[in-house]
Amino acid sequence: MSGELAEISIRDLHYSYPPLTAQGGPVSVLRGIDLEVERGEFVSIMGPTGVGKTTLCLALNGIVPQSMGGIFGGDVIVGGLNTKEHPVSKLASKVGIVFQDPESQFFNMTVENEVAFGPESLGIAPAEIRERLAWALDVVGMSDFRDRSPFHLSGGQKQRVAIASILAMKPDILVLDEPTSGLDPIGKFEVFRVVQELKRREQITIIMVEQEAEKIAEFSDRVVVMHEGKIVMVDGPSVIFSQVDLMHEIGLGVTQVSDLAARFNARSGTNYTFTLFEDAYDTLSQNTDRRTATDFSHPAIDGATCERKSASLESSNLQSPISNLPPPVIQVRDLWYQYTDDIVALRGVSLDVKDGDFVAVIGQNGSGKTTLVKHFNGLHKPTKGQVIVDGRDVSDLPVGELARTVGYVFQNPDYQIFCATTREEIAFGPRNLGLEGDELEERVEEALAYFGLTEYADSPPAVLGFGTRRKISVAAVYSMRPRVFVLDEPTTGLDWKSTMDLMRVIRAMNEMGHTIILVTHDMKLVCEFARSSLVLRDGQVLTYDDTRTVFKHSEILKDTQIEPPQITKLAKRMVPFGMSDDVLTVDEFHTVYVGRRRG
Amino acid sequence: MSFMFDLYVERPGWAHRVDPRVKILFVLVGVISMILFSNLFFMLAALITIQLLIGSAGVPRDRFAWVWKTMLSINFLIPLLWTIFYPEGDILFQFWILKFTPLALVRGLGVVARLDSIAFICFLWLFTTDQTSIVRSLVKIGMPFEWGLVLAISLRYVPTFYGLYVVVSEAQQARALDLTKGNFFQKLKSYMPILVAMIISALRTADKLARALESRALGVEGVERTYLHDIRFSRQDYVFSAVLLFIFCVAIVLHVLGVFTHPLYLIS
Repeated sequence: MSGELAEISIRDLHYSYPPLTAQGGPVSVLRGIDLEVERGEFVSIMGPTGVGKTTLCLALNGIVPQSMGGIFGGDVIVGGLNTKEHPVSKLASKVGIVFQDPESQFFNMTVENEVAFGPESLGIAPAEIRERLAWALDVVGMSDFRDRSPFHLSGGQKQRVAIASILAMKPDILVLDEPTSGLDPIGKFEVFRVVQELKRREQITIIMVEQEAEKIAEFSDRVVVMHEGKIVMVDGPSVIFSQVDLMHEIGLGVTQVSDLAARFNARSGTNYTFTLFEDAYDTLSQNTDRRTATDFSHPAIDGATCERKSASLESSNLQSPISNLPPPVIQVRDLWYQYTDDIVALRGVSLDVKDGDFVAVIGQNGSGKTTLVKHFNGLHKPTKGQVIVDGRDVSDLPVGELARTVGYVFQNPDYQIFCATTREEIAFGPRNLGLEGDELEERVEEALAYFGLTEYADSPPAVLGFGTRRKISVAAVYSMRPRVFVLDEPTTGLDWKSTMDLMRVIRAMNEMGHTIILVTHDMKLVCEFARSSLVLRDGQVLTYDDTRTVFKHSEILKDTQIEPPQITKLAKRMVPFGMSDDVLTVDEFHTVYVGRRRG
Repeated sequence: MSFMFDLYVERPGWAHRVDPRVKILFVLVGVISMILFSNLFFMLAALITIQLLIGSAGVPRDRFAWVWKTMLSINFLIPLLWTIFYPEGDILFQFWILKFTPLALVRGLGVVARLDSIAFICFLWLFTTDQTSIVRSLVKIGMPFEWGLVLAISLRYVPTFYGLYVVVSEAQQARALDLTKGNFFQKLKSYMPILVAMIISALRTADKLARALESRALGVEGVERTYLHDIRFSRQDYVFSAVLLFIFCVAIVLHVLGVFTHPLYLIS
């Protein structure tokens, strides 16, 4: 690749943020980045949380270092302009960045004004702004929302407006910094459809930071993998995702089909490379004789077989039927909740949460998930109906009292963090419950050790990385030893390894006897960790059953736009070839497939 | 109340079409005229007129109800306090040391009618002008664009920060923080966890906002900002402005002549 042709050329980029605390030194983030991107290329960036992906994005339009200060070395040249020599506002017409959080990108009262803001700043003539506005809104499919307030849109719509407001400046390069990480499944779907449309229709260079391996595999010409401030791999998605062990070592996930290929290769001596769904389907279906398959397909994997099979797998606690569990710790009876006269969030929800269960609560934003779980610790009181926690009606109990029984971890760790040290942060809850002295200290030390936070015990939590802050917020609730843990999307913004680490800790808490209620949009996690799944739609229970049953009948999830994990879909598609239709994890798929072939 | 932070009502009314600068002139002329006079009948006539103006602009009834509800306590308190503290003329009846006089009541009612009129004059402006137009008009009058943007952003973030307060206080209560216990100072102290977490979150938001503004090319040197919807005076706006200035002159003359300055009589 010649440097002359490159749209983006990064040479030996080093960058350190200014010190975060008075005593601290500069925080080194980027440690020698070299990258060239050609015009029209689609390049994805993957890397663990805190590796410098966002910093790299900000270096592309000069915000790093021009607005952030810090120590900058090397060169970033975009569209022929060196970012050191041109102000950010000028570079904005070359490089447009769409940030993760759509809320903080809006400052106008209508979609139209929002999208026009950039071109207005660039001094574009009103007639042309009008043309650009129509075009940009058309690309993102938001033409009908011109006069609406951007704040009253759904997450996916907001992010589409954010993309349009960048596109209207007609940048040569579009940078998308984890554009879907805070969105629900519908929102993700909408945004990725726009990205696909852009790739197809427009001659624009796209840099996308993303955690979703399946989407990266689908869109990218090349994938950049970052580790410890450096680029460790740059290649096509099929090469990148075939290196499963290496990716996991770095802390990153791969597509489920790549994972499956690696498992076949390791255990069955094959030489598969699956990157996309179709790769896996084509290969595996060709290797399975449909006629032979029918011989063993009719005793369609009964519950018992499945249970036995998975018993040896990592996700062993999946199959125990709900009925075997002890009596309910939470009982909800005909629960209605109304925010205002015209906003009814829950409409007659009735359910039991069994003591010691691991329940995933899933559904689109606005389906009533958070409203429901906020009743469990008394943050909401029923408008009508009853919620009984541990034998007591929540209507009569203050939140502080319920906090002994139900711990609640909020979606954003920063809503809870306020102390000068991590140790104090973790002590806050138990102290409120009346603990002191040695007992308190013991609890705090135990929580610090359990979450691997001992090294940060005396650091101010607010300046630590996002993944660490997330752990602290969970540890701060863990130290209160509640019987029930409610976790509202605890893995948002975490990389694969941090997610898995956190989920394993949560599973261990479940095994210790804590009931876990996990609100999440990540179906892979649901399938791998949750024993039961509660699906909400429009404030009502759509289905509530053990996870395997829910995903076996995933057609009922269809109009909630919840997509089963790739591996579950693959298994369903391969039912004519003898696969079971209720596979939840890659391990299960492999076990069942190999078992079937052996007949 | 969902419309507390953005009062604008989207309607195809006549007042919506008027240039926002004319509406600022209307507010100025209206408020000054209300201050120049103190005749009860004049005030009531003005109050009815302004209500009719707002109604004809298509502002829905619930907005009227909201303004009246907001003004309710003042509407009762002022005549009451006025009669108690400023007795004047014949005494209607006396209770302990409190003297009730009709003239003081009339004065009190006059003040109420004046305040209500001023409130509705301002609300006519706010109900029929969206924030973008308000800011755009202020910038047109001579305020720097950045100031206008700061104003718009502060208005825009009021509900966001209120939402942040709600969620942060819920998050801390979930950790058994008790906000009801103890005396005033203990209560104040128990709000610290909420305040600190909010400040940290607000700083993070401000940081993100700054990046977003820069990324949208705010403040490119050597480029004059353009506007998609530039506001321009129509012929109607010139007529309205002329009428307003005429009313203003008449008001000054009447004031000098002492017309409508007595609470009850035409001339002082």
